[in-house]
Amino acid sequence: MTSHIDWRNTLPKIVACIIVVPALLVPLFTNNPASLSIVILSGIWAVVAMGFTLILWTGQFSLGQSAFMAIGGYTSAILTAHLDWPFWPSFLAAGLVSGIVACAVGAVVLRVGGFYFSIITLALGEIVRIIAMQWQSVTRGTRGLVTYPPETISLGFINIDFTASTVPWYYFMIVLVAFSGLIYWRIGKSRIGGTFFSVAANPMLAEHQGIHLMKYRVIAFTVAGVFTGLAGSFYGHFLSAMTPYTLGIQESIQVMIMSIVGGISSLVAGPIVGSVVLYNLSQFLQRLNLEGIHPVVFGGAIVCILLFLPKGTGLVDLWTKFWKRVYGEVDFYELPEDMEKDIEVH
Amino acid sequence: MALLELKNISKNFGMLRALDQISLNVEQGDVLGIVGPNGSGKTTLINVISGYYQATQGTIRLDGKDICGLRPDRIAARGIARTFQSNVIYDSATVIESMLVSAYLQYKTSNWQAFFGTRAYRDEHERIVGRVLDILRLLDLFNDTFIPGEKLSYGYQRMLGIAIALSADPKILMLDEPTTGMNHQEAMFVVENIKKIREQGVTIIIIEHNMRVVANLATNVVVLNFGTKIAEGEPHMVMNNREVIEAYLGTETFSSN
Amino acid sequence: MHIGIWVDGLVQSCIYTTMAFGMVLVFSILGILNWAHGQFYMLGALVLYSAVMQAGLPFGAGLVIAALAMGLLGMLVERLIIDRVNVPRAIGALYVTAATISLQFFFVGGASMIWGRLEKGLGMVMPGVLTLGGVNISYQKIAVIVFTLIVMAIMYFVLEHTKIGLAIRAAAQRPDAAMLYGIHVGRIKTLVMGIGCAMAALAGCFMAPIYPVSPFMGGIPMIMSLLAIVIGGIGSLTGAIVGGVILGLLNSVIAYYMSYFSEVILFALVIIILLIRPQGLFGVAVK
Repeated sequence: MTSHIDWRNTLPKIVACIIVVPALLVPLFTNNPASLSIVILSGIWAVVAMGFTLILWTGQFSLGQSAFMAIGGYTSAILTAHLDWPFWPSFLAAGLVSGIVACAVGAVVLRVGGFYFSIITLALGEIVRIIAMQWQSVTRGTRGLVTYPPETISLGFINIDFTASTVPWYYFMIVLVAFSGLIYWRIGKSRIGGTFFSVAANPMLAEHQGIHLMKYRVIAFTVAGVFTGLAGSFYGHFLSAMTPYTLGIQESIQVMIMSIVGGISSLVAGPIVGSVVLYNLSQFLQRLNLEGIHPVVFGGAIVCILLFLPKGTGLVDLWTKFWKRVYGEVDFYELPEDMEKDIEVH
Repeated sequence: MALLELKNISKNFGMLRALDQISLNVEQGDVLGIVGPNGSGKTTLINVISGYYQATQGTIRLDGKDICGLRPDRIAARGIARTFQSNVIYDSATVIESMLVSAYLQYKTSNWQAFFGTRAYRDEHERIVGRVLDILRLLDLFNDTFIPGEKLSYGYQRMLGIAIALSADPKILMLDEPTTGMNHQEAMFVVENIKKIREQGVTIIIIEHNMRVVANLATNVVVLNFGTKIAEGEPHMVMNNREVIEAYLGTETFSSN
Repeated sequence: MHIGIWVDGLVQSCIYTTMAFGMVLVFSILGILNWAHGQFYMLGALVLYSAVMQAGLPFGAGLVIAALAMGLLGMLVERLIIDRVNVPRAIGALYVTAATISLQFFFVGGASMIWGRLEKGLGMVMPGVLTLGGVNISYQKIAVIVFTLIVMAIMYFVLEHTKIGLAIRAAAQRPDAAMLYGIHVGRIKTLVMGIGCAMAALAGCFMAPIYPVSPFMGGIPMIMSLLAIVIGGIGSLTGAIVGGVILGLLNSVIAYYMSYFSEVILFALVIIILLIRPQGLFGVAVK
């Protein structure tokens, strides 16, 4: 019976599940809001890092993803605080508005070369922050906007009360990460992922093969904008307040580093690994309360990781390399199965 | 009406006139050879046709429709594909991956259909994989299907470049010095492959330095020198043209006789 | 307008110019942007502080020590980290960016561990004031301007009229050709990194007597020199100088009239420049 199982593909997946399943059951082990918060925020950063990686897959480095978090966060904060909207529509609106802004900005800014684009996104992050500080009438400036948790959801026999404990937030995060992960994963595996690759790897060649470069760059930037906006909205409501201080250049850079350390060749697992590892490390170091230890160890650790990983890879690549060593090739692009057999027969 | 018509194409780079009033016609099924000394503007001409450069003056018509000033991806969509002198390929992708990614124009299903993996998309994908494998078989790249582009030998890398251009299913295929750096045997191998491509109904424009290749393939030849057309006609006539010989070898060739 | 504003602007120009020059030098030879450049500025100032205030050395000696120390540190960073991480193709730039940004954290943290987080003052090295047309300009600020001119003159001389300068310029233009002529490009890269970092350190030392010194002082100069390079044009040394001068003066003027908006205006200006003329004033257009 066991000979029918394709061990090459299934064993890694089984091992992955063994890691993932306990993650879903974490709240059973600890109810401590502080610990849960750390995991929750890791998840949020993972979603943002996925966006960074997607944009990277079209050959651009965006150093301003925190701007979209802020846009999303402020959108839902303004809708709930000023216009008395309920949470869920505001949450979705946050993603929508963020996406629209990303599309509009991207259409203009992605035309310039890669390096200049990065600097512009950096500047954009700052500009959004400054607008948040100065537009007192809407954002209440430095005092920030108070954000309320989602309304209690009653499912007949249980009430999911977001004010009572952190656990509902945890599962909300899981759903968000899983949903985003699924969409990003699907984009990466599909034809669109291949098109992104060609735009990044060799834009001149891609263009001569009929690919409209700007279109795909803007698509990636917009999708990243939508999910980053959702993440930002979650972030704002989870932290009970939306202020101009929480999201700036630091955070954009953090996201970039999470993506790189996790592995830029991976759209979902890489950001998750990178964000979990780095965010937890960061929190751990901050709690040690030693002067300067956080930046020193954090910065030093990242440099070490970058030095000792094989050139151009991240932590997730260690996983794929391990299985490669055990089994042989791992594929990149979907081929219909009968075509593979067709090739092998010859 | 010719398939491709160029009228008075000129291209300036600042003060440098790289192309000066070039006019030519390419009929369906032709193999047009473009020859001339280095720097005569051959690649510039291809770049203008493919949309990579904008012509400073003149018109280009494909099937009677004006394509001047369009972006390269729009011109590719109209049916013109090209290879590059420096042989541009996707280094890190395998042959089949490069081909599938370059066959972009053959896909008629939308990105949404691809994203959801609908039946229509999957059927189309299967068909296109088949066609792409056929191109690889045609150009003797089938055995290298899963090999990354950068690991192929030089000759096969150039064939991959041609295969990539072909995967766009073009009406006109423009080849920029496809036999550069090859010995006679390899060059003739490329010639055979180009003949096979021509049999598939593709019209070909080929820039070449190797006269034997041109003699073997071209139905007509255009000679450029310093951006102007100095001769045009059937290969053997053009190659015996005095002006052409002077352009390549200098005027002393005749005086020493 | 007050001459004082122009003088302050000029002083800032000097700092940004020196830093931007170092940054462009590094960019031209190594092809990377060192995000930790501002930290060499900061460390230079702190080393000077220790040399002068704690070890009691004269200012000049402290200056030399700081510049040499940072030059060496820069070379070490290049050899150990940047060289290893710099993969060919664009990914290398990404990794170097990540590495240098992480180094930034590392240096800030390290500096605050060694020197503590509080701001420190370096006593005035050149007290006294020059009175010009009814305005008092401190000798200190004049000294900064003079020092910067001297440093620039030295750099110009070295690059244009010495063998090593020639080697550097050759390596910048065509590294492969330079190698054929016996120029050890790898060593040039390390050397240039050292020079670039030393220049940042010098900028920090110039500023140390005028403004308070702390481990966190490196962030803003980094961004400012980046802006200067953008204005002047990415690959161009002349551009770095011109950009630095413009930026310093602009910053001073805007800060005087609309202090809290100065950031926005500068950022907006940079974005506009990047959209309209990405290559700045003197840069080479990159497709």
